[in-house]
Amino acid sequence: MKTLIFKRLVQLVGVIWGVGTLTFVLMRSLPGDMAYRIAASRYGQDNVDSQAAALVREELQLDQGALSAYKDWLLDLLQFRLGDSLVSGEPVIETVQHMLGHSLLLSFAGLALSIAIAVPIGLLSASKGKMVDSALMGFSSLIRAMPVFVIGVLLLLLFALHWNWFPVAGFGTPAHLVLPALTLGLSLAAVSNRVVRDSAKRVFGSSFYLFSRVKGLSKWTTFKRHGIRNIAVPVVAFLGIQLVSMIEGIVMIESLFSWPGIGHGLAHAIFARDIPVIQGAALVMGILFVFLNTLVDLLCHWIDPRGVAES
Amino acid sequence: MKVLLKLTDISVYAGDTCLLEPISLTLKQNVPLTILGQTGSGKSLLAQAIMGLLPNGLTSTGTIELFGKEMTLKERQSLWGSKLVMLPQEPWNALDPLMKGVEQVKEVYQYVQNKTPQESLRLSMDDLRNVGLSGSEYKRPDQLSGGMAQRLAISAATAGGANFILADEPTKGLDVSRRDDVVRLLQSRSAAGGLLTITHDVAIARQLGGDLMVMKAGCLVEQGVAEQILRNPQADYTQALIEAEPKTWIDAEPVSKESHDEILIVNQLSLKRGGRILFEGLSFTIRKGEVVGVVGDSGCGKSSLGDALLNLLPFTNGTISRLNHEAKPHQWLKLYQDPPSAFSASVSLGQLLNDLVRLHRIDVQRIQPLMRRLKLPKGILERNCLEVSGGELQRFAILRSLLLDPVFLFADEPTSRLDPITAKEVTELLVELANETGCAVLLVSHDPDLIRKTCDQVISL
Repeated sequence: MKTLIFKRLVQLVGVIWGVGTLTFVLMRSLPGDMAYRIAASRYGQDNVDSQAAALVREELQLDQGALSAYKDWLLDLLQFRLGDSLVSGEPVIETVQHMLGHSLLLSFAGLALSIAIAVPIGLLSASKGKMVDSALMGFSSLIRAMPVFVIGVLLLLLFALHWNWFPVAGFGTPAHLVLPALTLGLSLAAVSNRVVRDSAKRVFGSSFYLFSRVKGLSKWTTFKRHGIRNIAVPVVAFLGIQLVSMIEGIVMIESLFSWPGIGHGLAHAIFARDIPVIQGAALVMGILFVFLNTLVDLLCHWIDPRGVAES
Repeated sequence: MKVLLKLTDISVYAGDTCLLEPISLTLKQNVPLTILGQTGSGKSLLAQAIMGLLPNGLTSTGTIELFGKEMTLKERQSLWGSKLVMLPQEPWNALDPLMKGVEQVKEVYQYVQNKTPQESLRLSMDDLRNVGLSGSEYKRPDQLSGGMAQRLAISAATAGGANFILADEPTKGLDVSRRDDVVRLLQSRSAAGGLLTITHDVAIARQLGGDLMVMKAGCLVEQGVAEQILRNPQADYTQALIEAEPKTWIDAEPVSKESHDEILIVNQLSLKRGGRILFEGLSFTIRKGEVVGVVGDSGCGKSSLGDALLNLLPFTNGTISRLNHEAKPHQWLKLYQDPPSAFSASVSLGQLLNDLVRLHRIDVQRIQPLMRRLKLPKGILERNCLEVSGGELQRFAILRSLLLDPVFLFADEPTSRLDPITAKEVTELLVELANETGCAVLLVSHDPDLIRKTCDQVISL
């Protein structure tokens, strides 16, 4: 346990340095004059001229050499100073916090919904007959086969435009969260309900499950005592992977519902060459990935402690 | 004497195929009943039919009377735990892999006997202490040995108060001393109740006493008092089963192999595993065509020794010198204890054989005679490893090894999961092959009789 956490700390330092340096190099090597792009983002595409670009260049010291810029950035990073946005002038840390907060809210809401959908459906598939199983399998494949924005648009058309139950886009109230979270939840559940189903099928058919019944425990007690935890082992690991890859992958949903999350914000920052925001966002996401992975590992270890004592 | 169980014409069908011929029996209180027979003789189906545990697709006919009353499937299932219980064949698989041992006993007291959690814990701790598991109460099944797991499973099974026990191969894969423990435990747990044991092990039948039924391929061969039948068997089949016990085998004639070439010299070998020294300063020489037996209690490093000789396991100290330099690495082979785990179930055995032939450019002409020799039916090649019997599969594993002209074969308890008749055949076959082909065989077994009667040299760990 201790070695795991220590390893992850070392990994974290590596991730911070690696992600930061990589975004630095990549952003420097993007084609086009950076000063022009920043000026365009600040004043609008039609109001840019060489003079505005020159002003921006001077203000932000964009003509300084790559090495000295890297050194400045690294020194700032060591002091946890992420700088200000080149476009809005707001501190990066605040911008990222705002975006990340919304992304995490959406991700966890989506994940929670997907669990609420996938677990009952998976258990139903595993315990009922072949007919139910095949029907649910077909339905899952159908949802899975649709690109996530199609699901989003369908939900929008139905619940926002036709019935007017929920707002079309934006954020701020719980009602705004429903449709994006449902879209996310549905697309995640389409896969995870199969993982639940396979795991449950394996457990329901296992000798220890049967032995528990033979020992005299009722169906329900057997499920509670021996079902849930054993079924959870692969499911939790899979949900962890889903969660980690989802945070960057929800850009589609964020864009569709104008949700001010990190995927959405990062895309905009890249168009605007807002380097401090890109670096800040990439960095925080890197840290988040390591953190979430560690959390999932600890959770998996807590559920299934086998095979750790030896290693 | 009270009759606990009375079966009238119980048979089991899969569709129209009869898997178990109609059988009738009576089990009286305090008189254990043992059903003895080879694997695949439908014995396990009988126990499942009594419990109401037949797999989907199988149906049973006939009537089952329990405790003097004819019972339906539902009624029998309601007796589980409190009146009637069946012990699992493979305790490791029957215990929840993620739950601590004592919890698996405690839950029975708590949910079946409706005792308080504290009371349940106290009772389960007592139970585990009584079966010699003190100190291991909070271990998970994967941290227990096979014998310990079986004792835990028996404690868990009987905690609900059931004293009518069905035990289906309760000692599969256990060594002799563990086997005796389990049998004694079974006897004490079923005292004042009933015990129906299904086994292929004559020694267990003898130990349990009581009544005995001998079965072959789903049919009853002989029935009566255990002691009489075992002393004076009437049916040829019973005779064969008794003779297949290693204890009764004819002693191997010690053939001196001093003149044969040495192929392996082991000098001062030590092996450590998980911080524990398994053995130290072991020295021996293996010659061509020699059958070398390794005996010792479970966990003493028998399998580890074989693996070390095959370079599958690093050793701590000493040297292992292979003197046969012409032999390729794939001519040093291993025969596994559990045949199905040594084969892939996703392709047919024929496919596996073809792959081997192609990889090593083996002469196809050699396969047919060898298959005849090993008594492998031709149709076996179209099936996969789960669709053939354990004995057939182990013989197929031997075929696979022989095609590679092995110089050294490490047979890791090759017969511990086979019934005695098949086990005897497989063991004899290995000895014959060693003599004929000059391949040295390292035979590991938990049965000292088997080793003593077959091996040229014995290593005791």
